[in-house]
Amino acid sequence: MTEAYIGLLVLWPLVAGLACLVLRGPTARSALVLATGVALAAGGLALASQAPFTANPGFMASATAIHIAQAAAFLLPAFFLFKGLQEKHLLVIVFALAQLALAATGEFYLPAAAAAQNAVVVDGLSLALMLVVCFAGSLICFFALPYMKHHEEHLKLPVSRQPGFFLVMLAFLGLMNGLALSNDMRLFAMFYESTTLCSFLLIGHDRTAEAKQSAMRALWMNSLGGVLLHGGIILIQKQYGLADIQAIVTPTLWAGASLLPLALIAAAGCVKAAQMPFQGWLLGAMVAPTPVSALLHSSTMVKVGVFVALRLAPVLQGTTTGKVLCLVGAFTFFATSAMAMGQSNAKKILAYSTMANLGLIIACAGIGTPVAIAAGIVLLVIHAATKGLLFLCVGDMEQAIGSRDLEDLRGMISKTPTTALAATAGAMAMILPPLGMLVGKWAALEAAAASPVAMVFMALGSALGVVCWVRFAGTLMGGKSVGVQPAHTSVLSTGPILAMLAGAVGLGMAAPWLNALLLPAELANPFAGGWGLMPPMFVLAMVAWIIGMKALSRQGNATLAAPYIGGLPSNEAGSYVGPLGRNWILSEGNPYAPEIFGESQWTKIAGALGALLLLALLGGAII
Amino acid sequence: MNLNTFYLAVAGLILAPLLGGLVAGLDRVVTARLQSRMGPPLMQPFFDVGKLMSKVIPPASHWQGMFVRWALIASLASDALLAAGGDVLMCFFVQAASACFVAMGAFSGNSPYSKIGAQRELFQMLAYEPVFLVAILCMAKAAGGFDAFSMMSGSEPLLFKLPLIVPGLLFVVLVKLRKSPFDISASHHMHQEVVRGIYTDYAGRDFALLEIAHWADVTVVLWICSFLWATGPLQMLATALITLFVALVIDNISARLTWRTMLKTVAPISLILAAANLVWLYLE
Repeated sequence: MTEAYIGLLVLWPLVAGLACLVLRGPTARSALVLATGVALAAGGLALASQAPFTANPGFMASATAIHIAQAAAFLLPAFFLFKGLQEKHLLVIVFALAQLALAATGEFYLPAAAAAQNAVVVDGLSLALMLVVCFAGSLICFFALPYMKHHEEHLKLPVSRQPGFFLVMLAFLGLMNGLALSNDMRLFAMFYESTTLCSFLLIGHDRTAEAKQSAMRALWMNSLGGVLLHGGIILIQKQYGLADIQAIVTPTLWAGASLLPLALIAAAGCVKAAQMPFQGWLLGAMVAPTPVSALLHSSTMVKVGVFVALRLAPVLQGTTTGKVLCLVGAFTFFATSAMAMGQSNAKKILAYSTMANLGLIIACAGIGTPVAIAAGIVLLVIHAATKGLLFLCVGDMEQAIGSRDLEDLRGMISKTPTTALAATAGAMAMILPPLGMLVGKWAALEAAAASPVAMVFMALGSALGVVCWVRFAGTLMGGKSVGVQPAHTSVLSTGPILAMLAGAVGLGMAAPWLNALLLPAELANPFAGGWGLMPPMFVLAMVAWIIGMKALSRQGNATLAAPYIGGLPSNEAGSYVGPLGRNWILSEGNPYAPEIFGESQWTKIAGALGALLLLALLGGAII
Repeated sequence: MNLNTFYLAVAGLILAPLLGGLVAGLDRVVTARLQSRMGPPLMQPFFDVGKLMSKVIPPASHWQGMFVRWALIASLASDALLAAGGDVLMCFFVQAASACFVAMGAFSGNSPYSKIGAQRELFQMLAYEPVFLVAILCMAKAAGGFDAFSMMSGSEPLLFKLPLIVPGLLFVVLVKLRKSPFDISASHHMHQEVVRGIYTDYAGRDFALLEIAHWADVTVVLWICSFLWATGPLQMLATALITLFVALVIDNISARLTWRTMLKTVAPISLILAAANLVWLYLE
């Protein structure tokens, strides 16, 4: 039965995506997307109920599957090469050629690696990523239905391009499930490269000059990631003749050996997770429609990078490579949090914050102890729900007012109350105890006890993140009254937002149990050590909620005091008679302190430092 | 979690705000003496809060009552956590949550002074939080554990291992007690340019509850400072009082700085010192 469920999770989205392309009507498309979402959710739960397990479904274990993967190792770079030649983009051409050369080396000059013992291995980590794809991915695809309709109305396209869009979106879900579940390096690499392809196609979806440029940038950076990944795989193939991921991540295999292959794969993960200095592609990816940003560039695809790092983590524990990887992650956590502080573009804030949290997870992977790995996985799951929610909210508010600038989102609570409150709650869920993001950060800080520099970076990044999110939420709250009628509603926009909100808060509350599930049996007490604080804190949060709601219901209808403005109220709205008898007009704006958090200087300096750290990651493994 | 822990937490919950109130009274008495004034009685802060509690004033926002209560609960919780010997890092995060709620309430108010106060409060948090966090990490490393009991049970004062976090802690105390030169977000004297800053829109009972939350915060911060010499309860009390006295003297002899100076000069210097102390602990 498990084989059938795995087939459903990996193949059904591909089939449904193709069906979207054939049946071009909006009704059929909605039905297909909804059916896929339901099927993925049910299949994901069914598989989760049986974990941990191993399986050998025919379509992933047979010789044909391996042949397809080997062919893909040539076909995908060949396509990238074609695109590079078409756009005359030198870096894409170079990296695509390098990938082709590596694929040829692996295929023709080295003895083939032994087939994996099990084609599919499901443990806590792969289950976490798969469930994120099945649930967050499905909800975001639902949200995309009304969003893309509105988006195309706005662009006034003569022919709808939604069939192609939903083909890539749905197929992507299947590919991600394949990536999470596969235990054969060759299949894994195929899925990895095909997510790069999906990202490229979706970033360029709007076909504007900016979209094309961003898509090419994403392509060259991720092709570089592909080169690093294939380099690592080929070194392992040469050294050990292995393609079985579970066998590769056994620490005893690497005792006394150079960790260079793993450092290469971890560096590929850093590129995919947009760690400094590769933050540029994720930033450019924000030109894509918001569901793409939510699905690929926050909830799922960038998680592949941290997924790889966490997969390698048991081998990295206590090694130089692990320590440097921890620094790479912690540094990105700090630097991108600082860059988020200086931003007023709401989507860019979300992008930088995504990189920051991915950095924190990479740092956990670098530490590599069971406790740190569990913290990393908890962060992965809860971040997907929380950041997915924030992206959907920003997308919804953007469509309501036509701007994604934080200054224009001021006081959104009076325009789209449900979405604005959900966004506020999401922002708070990023930083408040006892919810999962904060608890994960706390666990990461305590697990980082071996690395003082990483701890200092984490402390800085933590404070920057808190300030950034309170400002974000405070700007949305903007001081207007409650109970205003919403501007527009669609069940398919508010439904996913509310479901994501429930997921973000629910998973945030469930963090201790998630953490315990992910720990080895001897550590698996949800309330061991500092975690014993959690139950009383939950009780306290409940009490606070009840008391706060009572206060809100008491004050919610009160007549408000006139604003204190240090002058006489004037007849004109929003102005007052102040000093010199003049009429002063009130206006508000957030200070972004560009002289401290300016994007360009941070991109240069922090980018250079990030590049140095990544080189140290590779160099440290060679020495 | 046994019954003993529970009693300790309840004791912390009740005593901490009272202690914070006494600190506020002491502050006013000492400051008056430093300025050769008579000053109010020690219990004046309690009388003030009692009077505020009785006032019903229209709120400036529908959301403020909610945020004030959340802030109060978070502040009290951080005291209870510390009293029960909980994780000091988590206590810090809970206390930071309280500051976030106060800022959120000010953001949702309608006075421009309240909003400018909230923005400045955020920059203050940006300045002191990393320093405070690194100081706590230093204490945890030196004491060998993140829980309050292991920090309070050392036979030797932590101060000798952690001299470089002292300026940082003093900075944190000055910011959290809203003392000059860092009373940037809620200027103490209402004739200044931001009126009462972040507190401008809070009034009546809401403001009274916020005052109690502030007392609880003060207790937490001074308590964590007292870990520097935690060989016994009296030593801890003395450390806290000395810290308080130094803060009051600085308050009386300094003028207010701008948030830029705080963020660009004071915060980096105290953070670098604290971080150096942390690295040094690892090299030992």
